[in-house]
Amino acid sequence: MGECHYQSGNYEAMIIAEICRQVLKDVGVNPERMVLEWASAAEAPRFVELITRYVSAVKAIGPLGSAEGEDKEAIIRMHLKAGVKAASARKVRTALGKLAKDIKKSGDYNPQIISDGVTKKVFPAFREERLAQEIQICLAETGPCKSADISEKTGGDIKEIGKILETLSRKELVKKQGSNWYGIGN
Amino acid sequence: MTGGVFNPHILGFFCHWCCYAAADAAGVSRYQYPPNVRVIRVMCTGRIDLRFILEAFGCGADGVFTGG
Repeated sequence: MGECHYQSGNYEAMIIAEICRQVLKDVGVNPERMVLEWASAAEAPRFVELITRYVSAVKAIGPLGSAEGEDKEAIIRMHLKAGVKAASARKVRTALGKLAKDIKKSGDYNPQIISDGVTKKVFPAFREERLAQEIQICLAETGPCKSADISEKTGGDIKEIGKILETLSRKELVKKQGSNWYGIGN
Repeated sequence: MTGGVFNPHILGFFCHWCCYAAADAAGVSRYQYPPNVRVIRVMCTGRIDLRFILEAFGCGADGVFTGG
């Protein structure tokens, strides 16, 4: 740490790693599958040790999907697909950028501060965006369904889903007819 | 999965100035390490995006190693 060629690049990476851990945990993937390690250019033996340890750790965890639980693979795949889209969403990116800027200004890259900042400022925006994406994927794939079905499929709380459905219908991306929701477009 | 042994697919994001150089040095000095890591060189670990990592898992990576 502190040896970065670009001065603060590795501190910025700590913020990304933290949001990534929280997101993976949220979608049901073991967060230990993603690690952030430091090895300077002169530390080849240390690098070899880190890689060896990490590869055996992943081997112990097992393959992605089947190791996270029975028949979880399809649902994790959907979460990840929606997650990729959510990670590109403007709201999430501005939240992340703002947090990174604030932390850089304060100059305090304490892991606890990063973790709290991410939990409070970035993660909620990401989760909302991910669920919104999943609702749209869900409606496009299975056709009209009730909000309870969507909640069950996406693993979101029914109140949370209801709120997001309202927002989406205001943007005219979904439509309600009777007790069923329809996707518009895609 | 070959012959019942689980060989994880691991994606590595290595910083050009640190970990990538360390990996290079490890190769030159003939250190042995597991061949499961496929490397993507980035100019800085700060360049890595949440999207890259999620996409890696979405494409079937069993792990992502970020080295700076």
